[in-house]
Amino acid sequence: MLIDINNLHVSVGGTEIIRGLNLQIRPGEVHAIMGPNGSGKSTLANTLAGREDYEVTAGSVQYKGADLLPLAPDERARAGVFLSFQYPVEIPGVTNVYMLKAALNARRKARGEEEIDSVGFMRLVREKAELMQLDKSFLSRGVNEGFSGGEKKRNEIFQMALLEPDLAILDETDSGLDIDALKVVANGVNSQRDGQRGFLLITHYQRLLDYIQPDFVHVLSKGQIIRSGTSELALELEANGYDEIVAAAR
Amino acid sequence: MSEMHEIVSDNIRAALAEQGGRGDWLSKIQDEALADFERLGFPGKGLEQWKYTDISPLAAAYPDWLWTDSTAPQQPELPTLGIADADELVFVDGQYDAALSRLGPLPDGTFLGSIDDLAAQQPDVCQRLFGRLAASRSSAFVALNAALAGNGAALLVPAGVELPRPVVLTYLSATPHSSAQPRLLVDLAEGARATVVEHFCSLGAVIVNAVAELSCAQNSRLDYYKLQAEDPAAWHTAAQFAEVGRDAVLAATHLDIGAALARNELQVQLVAAGAHAETKGLFMADAQRHVESRVTVEHVAPHTTSRERYRGILGDRARGVFNGRIHVHAEAQKTAAELSNRNLLLNAGAEINTKPELEIYADDVKCAHGSTTGQLDQQSLFYLLTRGLDHTTARNMLITAFAAELLADIAIPAIAERAQQALAALRDASAPPPPVTPS
Repeated sequence: MLIDINNLHVSVGGTEIIRGLNLQIRPGEVHAIMGPNGSGKSTLANTLAGREDYEVTAGSVQYKGADLLPLAPDERARAGVFLSFQYPVEIPGVTNVYMLKAALNARRKARGEEEIDSVGFMRLVREKAELMQLDKSFLSRGVNEGFSGGEKKRNEIFQMALLEPDLAILDETDSGLDIDALKVVANGVNSQRDGQRGFLLITHYQRLLDYIQPDFVHVLSKGQIIRSGTSELALELEANGYDEIVAAAR
Repeated sequence: MSEMHEIVSDNIRAALAEQGGRGDWLSKIQDEALADFERLGFPGKGLEQWKYTDISPLAAAYPDWLWTDSTAPQQPELPTLGIADADELVFVDGQYDAALSRLGPLPDGTFLGSIDDLAAQQPDVCQRLFGRLAASRSSAFVALNAALAGNGAALLVPAGVELPRPVVLTYLSATPHSSAQPRLLVDLAEGARATVVEHFCSLGAVIVNAVAELSCAQNSRLDYYKLQAEDPAAWHTAAQFAEVGRDAVLAATHLDIGAALARNELQVQLVAAGAHAETKGLFMADAQRHVESRVTVEHVAPHTTSRERYRGILGDRARGVFNGRIHVHAEAQKTAAELSNRNLLLNAGAEINTKPELEIYADDVKCAHGSTTGQLDQQSLFYLLTRGLDHTTARNMLITAFAAELLADIAIPAIAERAQQALAALRDASAPPPPVTPS
């Protein structure tokens, strides 16, 4: 089991958002979590990434057989958990290339690998940037500085491709993307499906799943998974809307 | 504090009388300045301009430290900046040290030397420049500097000449409990260009009170750097007065990284169309140090432009004060000015008082000002952590980034490096204890 979430309860600012969530992802699987606004999708993503102000009040999360929750965000990242942000932050003054190299070397070190040399790093960066159709000039710019919404999302997937996580959590990566950008992002994700890496796609829209075929689809409502199924469930959601499924689950 | 300034002025008067007076124009300036100082006294916290900076300990030390004999060795160890190719004048305990200075050949008509030498060689010029921009009646510290004048540096660049190397002025205060009152006179004639670096450093608790007069004639350009890297126990007060003429440019960079108490004031007058001032400053402090940075830009003439960018980084229980003022005179139509101040507080005990001000009397202008103060952005920190960077690395990156924009376009790498070192030290000193991870 890659990740095993058991009866998870999470509070943010004293309000319980996740209320007894169960989810298991095996290596190689792609899971989609869909749900209306406020259902707890982003809270789940941020909790798994280790955000400090999200308080786990009950339940457990096992990642590769060990307790994930005591780990700090950076330890989780080095252990192979990657979060693609819904709203990637701009960090002027920290160049993309500087941040990426530090991130890649931190991950490599955690895997017991040598630091990457400059030539190897640039080769890798060029290859992944091409995949994500990012112009090389972005490397010398500040992290996400002045990027369009689409560029920011492509940069997230670019980083994922570079860091090669074991579990990638994509928090509404499709939101705000036009169809061309969506295809680039989906292509980037699909290129990283290798039968081992697990994916948790968090999305509001079925559209993303036209391009990334999930193995399982879950519907989140009020902090719980109320229905799970295969990719057909996404189509049913698209056709009937959330209300019907939420009502039926009561 | 009133007694203090009386003791100081009595001291100075006695000393000047003992010297017998030079009987020259400088004596006259000194007498007038002393009268100004007696009238003004040390500024108290009641004055708006001194509201956040308490100088009573400095005032109390002044009488005893005024005439401390220099105990500096013949060859003091200079905390040099390591600017390899430069003309450098060195002042030790306020006195010009020709042996430590290094001067290469300069273009014809250029003067670079001590004010004493200028007074001897070109008395008329010296008399014309001294006190032209820095008025003793306006400030007790300027008056004090003038009353004790006689030492300092002068740079005169004739029309159309561009200096081949930067001019570095190193002021080393090597004797504890001493005081120095350096003055700098810079006069760029039409179309002249120069880079001037003032570097202040000290060993132990000292008083430094510096004044600079920077005159930029039509179409000239002055790149001015001031690196205040005094001893953590030192008191440093300084003021620069600049006049920028038609189509001339003043680019001023202030780096405040030292001193127990530092206060710098830059006053710029844009007196003719096309004059431009680009001023920026980075001030940092830790422990219980106090740093104040003030800038005033007077848009006197139409079609003048300025940009002021200041950043403060404060750790531990340090206190910062920023005051920026853009004053657009009624005649100064088509002025464009932009003033910003951003401050980063690294610890909960650090504090800043910031006040950006616009005072506009013309109606066709484009002016903006803003100020922000905050701790490290937690969203940015979380983002970097989720990329696998450890907490220390991520934090250091963000602090470095905060200063990066200001340090990036410093043309002299040695100065930027010195600021980076100070920043790294501040970063490490203010770092939180490592988080406890349950094993």
